[in-house]
Amino acid sequence: MNFVEIRGLSKRFGDNVVLDGLDLDIEKGEVVAIIGPSGTGKSTLLRCLNLLERPDRGEITIDGEKFDLTEKSSQKAMQLRRHTEMVFQQFYLFRQRTVMENVMEGLRVVKHYDKSRAREIAAYQLRKVGMGAWSGHYPKHLSGGQQQRVAIARALAMQPKLLLMDEPTSALDPELVGEVLCTIRETARDGNTIALVTHEMNFVRQVATKIVFIENGKIVEQGTPGDIFENPSSRRLKEFLMQANLYTNIEYSI
Amino acid sequence: MTDLFNIKLVFTQIPQILAYLPVTLQLTAVAMVIGWGFGLVIALIKRRKIPVLSQLAAIFVSLIRGTPIIVQLYIAYFGIPIALQYINYYQGTSFNINGIPAIVFAMIALGLNQSAFDSEVIRAAIASVNKGEIEAGKSLGMSGFQVLRRVIFPEAMVVALPSLGNSLISLVKGTSLAFTCSVVEMTAEAKIIGGYNYRFFEAYCTLAIIYWAMTFLIEKIFYLLERKFSVPEKAPKLQPFDTAQEVNMV
Repeated sequence: MNFVEIRGLSKRFGDNVVLDGLDLDIEKGEVVAIIGPSGTGKSTLLRCLNLLERPDRGEITIDGEKFDLTEKSSQKAMQLRRHTEMVFQQFYLFRQRTVMENVMEGLRVVKHYDKSRAREIAAYQLRKVGMGAWSGHYPKHLSGGQQQRVAIARALAMQPKLLLMDEPTSALDPELVGEVLCTIRETARDGNTIALVTHEMNFVRQVATKIVFIENGKIVEQGTPGDIFENPSSRRLKEFLMQANLYTNIEYSI
Repeated sequence: MTDLFNIKLVFTQIPQILAYLPVTLQLTAVAMVIGWGFGLVIALIKRRKIPVLSQLAAIFVSLIRGTPIIVQLYIAYFGIPIALQYINYYQGTSFNINGIPAIVFAMIALGLNQSAFDSEVIRAAIASVNKGEIEAGKSLGMSGFQVLRRVIFPEAMVVALPSLGNSLISLVKGTSLAFTCSVVEMTAEAKIIGGYNYRFFEAYCTLAIIYWAMTFLIEKIFYLLERKFSVPEKAPKLQPFDTAQEVNMV
């Protein structure tokens, strides 16, 4: 049995089928990069796993605990959300709270840790993402890259079994992307299980242990970075990589 | 023509009118609490779009905003006793209508009036909260109530404060109509003093000074609150920290 098993995930918005009975397994400590053309349900996939979007069908098993994703009970939703954490494209730090308070928030309110313990953990996580010196700042005092690093610390402080990252660098200025990727690389190295949606193909190539190519709500192909980038078998993946200028083994024919 | 306007009197009778300041404050405080509390309930009902309740809330707000406050005070003053009599008659209860102090009618009327206006302020403030931050709260595993308390309120409050200050000021001035419910507060006392010494103009001048001082104070308090709750413009200094410090993760 795999650490995370997603089965039959389906979601439609009106007539638009975004996810179509998708199955995905993730091993513990794996970094799964989800790639694919825009509008193919990559973000929706992550949002369904955290119940920010309610799928029409599907279930997820995390570390042996099974959740029906269509379950209406908010109790169940909260339980699932305690196993998963989301890092958003737009960071979404709490603007009324300092960096330190942002990271402490979940520990205090959800996990009911006392103040000193929450502060200790938050300080540790902030140091890990290199934001220890900024703990008294408010989000608006920080650059996008710094905000995203704090958001990663906020998610990691909750010790999620599965960390979801929804295009964590897409809203950043080009010169700020590096520092966030660096933080994600560290996070991956620490053994966190991560599902990551991104367009940073070179980064994916280096960090991901598994790549999943999605189109039209279905997994078209999955494999190691080597398989996907050097040896794509499906035509659609080849086209996608070619458009991203990443597929170099092109056989020219005239 | 010497004694047409006795300016000294304007100031010497301040204490006499101030003696009824507690009544005005009581009216204001209770109506404010009703206004914020009930206003919040209405705002949440409208936000959740709860069937039946949200339509009732819309009618209530429209009705209150569409009628003068003095009419509402009269309706409360005459209507509540009639309602109680009906209840007594049909339910067999024995509420003593004459046992209710007049100030209660004024408090209810002013409070409901406030709630209609404040509900719109609160609703708009809640709507202004970043959806993403609400999702971030949910994603951390917060319950709906925790999200409301920890994410939505702190942000909505900053947005709502200036308008709530405004509506509190109009409430303070609105209490001057409480005499219609035979409550003797500052305005009623000024009328009484005027009727006693025929110095109406001086009495109203005194009154104006007192109200103005009160609202001036409220403005200042809300200004300070606003400053306290808003994020400081300037970034604080970087905090030195010890990288070697070990932390035990449990």
